[in-house]
Amino acid sequence: MSLGSPVRATLAVLASALLAVVAPAPGEAKVLRTNLRADPAMVDPITYSELVAGDVMKNLYEGFTEIDKDGGIVPALAVRWEANPDNKGFRVYLRKGVKFHSGREFTAKDVKWTFEQILLPGNKGGLTLTYLKVLEGAQEIQEGKATQLSGVKVIDPYTLDVRFTRPDVLFPIYPFQFMDSGIVAQHGADWHTKVSAGTGPFKFVHWKRGQEVRLAAHKDYWGQAPSVDEISMLIVPSYDTAVSMYEANELDVIDLEAIQARRVLKDPKFKDEILAVPAAQIRYLGMNQNLYAPFKDKRVREAICLSFDREGLVKGLYGGAGAPLYGQITPGVAGYNPNVKPIPYDPVRAKQLMAEAGYPDGKGLPPVKITCEPTFKDELAYYADQFKKVLGMPVEVEIQERGTFIKRMNAGEVPFFPWGWTADYPDAMYFLSQVWYGPSPYNRSRWKNAEFDQLIDRAQGVPDAQARYRLYHTAEQVLLADWGTCPLVVRMQIALRKPNVQGVRLTPFRFLPFNTVKLN
Amino acid sequence: MRAYALRRALGLLPVLLAAVVLTFVANQFVPGDPITTLLSDRSGDTALEARLRAEYGLDRPLWRQFGTYVGGILRGDFGLSFRFASTPVIDVIAPGLLVSPLLAGSALLIGVPLGVALGIFVALRRNSLWDTLVVLLLVAGTSIPNFALAAFLVYLLSVRLGWLPVAGWGTLSQAILPVLLLAIPPIAYVARLSRTYMLEVLQQDYIRTARAKGLSRRLVVYRHALRNTLVPLLTTIGIIFGGLLSGTFVIETLFNIPGLGRMAIQSIFARDYPVTMAIVLLFTFFYAGINLVVDLLYGVIDPRIRLGAGRAGRA
Repeated sequence: MSLGSPVRATLAVLASALLAVVAPAPGEAKVLRTNLRADPAMVDPITYSELVAGDVMKNLYEGFTEIDKDGGIVPALAVRWEANPDNKGFRVYLRKGVKFHSGREFTAKDVKWTFEQILLPGNKGGLTLTYLKVLEGAQEIQEGKATQLSGVKVIDPYTLDVRFTRPDVLFPIYPFQFMDSGIVAQHGADWHTKVSAGTGPFKFVHWKRGQEVRLAAHKDYWGQAPSVDEISMLIVPSYDTAVSMYEANELDVIDLEAIQARRVLKDPKFKDEILAVPAAQIRYLGMNQNLYAPFKDKRVREAICLSFDREGLVKGLYGGAGAPLYGQITPGVAGYNPNVKPIPYDPVRAKQLMAEAGYPDGKGLPPVKITCEPTFKDELAYYADQFKKVLGMPVEVEIQERGTFIKRMNAGEVPFFPWGWTADYPDAMYFLSQVWYGPSPYNRSRWKNAEFDQLIDRAQGVPDAQARYRLYHTAEQVLLADWGTCPLVVRMQIALRKPNVQGVRLTPFRFLPFNTVKLN
Repeated sequence: MRAYALRRALGLLPVLLAAVVLTFVANQFVPGDPITTLLSDRSGDTALEARLRAEYGLDRPLWRQFGTYVGGILRGDFGLSFRFASTPVIDVIAPGLLVSPLLAGSALLIGVPLGVALGIFVALRRNSLWDTLVVLLLVAGTSIPNFALAAFLVYLLSVRLGWLPVAGWGTLSQAILPVLLLAIPPIAYVARLSRTYMLEVLQQDYIRTARAKGLSRRLVVYRHALRNTLVPLLTTIGIIFGGLLSGTFVIETLFNIPGLGRMAIQSIFARDYPVTMAIVLLFTFFYAGINLVVDLLYGVIDPRIRLGAGRAGRA
């Protein structure tokens, strides 16, 4: 067959282009290969605000404290801290001899610099900004009136004082990522595209967008130095592909979404390779009493909570990758109460309660919409069906686009909805103070209780963890006794690791840094 | 010829303009608010929301947003990504920009010659067992969806036998399965067409004349008949390439190839509309581009087309 010369030339160009693009990557000796569900949104601690970015960056950066494999809080870059008598500040004693990835030593001035960088208005500070607003002088920096943070005083290289505008006893456990204050001078403003400026067990090597984030061991790490030389985090958006790659030995460790994990949980060949831990995410049913009058009756709220089968839901819809949730703090999060009373599935009692409230078999109940976004449409259909079947409630299912739904919930415009909340720091205060505390913008079902709010206000000023947890438990009881919500289920995080991979630590806050991982 | 080329190139402008307007308008009809979605668990932070709205220009009237959008495209600037906050769309898509055209192009270069060869092979053996067998395979090739075939082949060749990598991009062996799978529909399509065309051409008088002159069968088929079979085939290249580009959406996702196809899927699920819009425009551009090339080649091959182009319009 004769091909014209232009065609032959094109063929040659394309063939060489194909070869150029698919040039083989250099092989490494001890590389841990794992998956990321998407590109991280950033690898910069200043703008940091996203989950996948967190998965990468926790290997690179550290805060005052970290969590251990059981979710407990342990000192990291701070060795200890003392609350001021008025709880409006701390004296923090830093760990000595900690080296940044640059080789420079970590000291108090780096803490102050990090805070200032996140607050500076031009820097587009991300998630961490939320935790810094409590600092004295933070507002002045944000408004461009100052560049020095007056609320942080460097006493000596290993000691600093932080001052707040109101009590905030949780400050030491916030997920800070301290940066090397010399980094901009050394590498310029876009340093984070080239290097990492942390103290973590790994340092940044490269991020090939759409393909891979690669990290290398930080040999001078103050804690347990990594056993692997490098981590290759491959960007694999399809979980099915990730599982196939794992089966073909192209990945050593993978994390999976609960819903997609069903196939893995059912397959006996993965039995010994599964890690499963409840996520630090509460799920609840919002019942807005301002929008639907029958919700004002506690008996109606209780009846609703008794009318669906949490165990069945976990088995059927979650494929076992979940557990019933009976409170509003998830196991593994500091402050969890293991003695919360289980809520039974009791259709008989639920019917009786409805009759007592004046709605026998749902008679007299006005229609109501139960709303959620598309991800949870199956779960939503289950609840609606149960409420109809058990209570005779005239419920209509409404699926709404995520952005619209969030906006409406924030405005307190959704009467009835299942939703969740994921903790950013390892303390139950996150759930209680954001979802159920009266003044919180995220109290989306508008449940309000003066006693609950007082308990939370008090807890904010109790630095002693155990004493604080007791207040959480009381507050949680107030919420549950009032049937302010129906706790739903807690999702399991599922991960797989090959038998030759040891020391992978999966926690309610996802993987811990991979420095403890050994490849045999 | 130059006037013809210029005419054809200018003819693309309305197509591209329509694509720009349509993607912009479609984006306005998408329900929901991208900033709220972007903020998600921080959606209660009104100061941050205002800052982002201003940064993305969403606080301005629609006609100004459109002006900025068109002006940006002319400068090669597609705005900012929602998923990758504050990152220009162009930085998000640049690394994958050539992957999809490269995949589609490789599949085209493998698929078309193979398809032609196969089509001619069976045309010359019309109504034989070979003919029936190949035609059957061709029907299967066009009707089995490539994701189903991909899942089967990955399981067999990669997971079970371990001959080829499951997924990824960076080595030649990683490119084999995706390119092959992409090439199957065009092979089947081209083979069926060239079989029909070849059978038609072989009935023509000039073929009989050539045979009557005593030329060898080989010469008659390859010199006389093949050329006239290829001319109508050329027009289908544009359509095939379009099909291949959309095929990359599935193949890139299955094989985890960092091209525009996988990125399009990801950006749709992540509601990263600026990225989706940019990819739609780029695919329109690639598609229009290959059609331009085909039109020009057609003009080169068949003088009637470039001379009559003024009257007849599209070739």
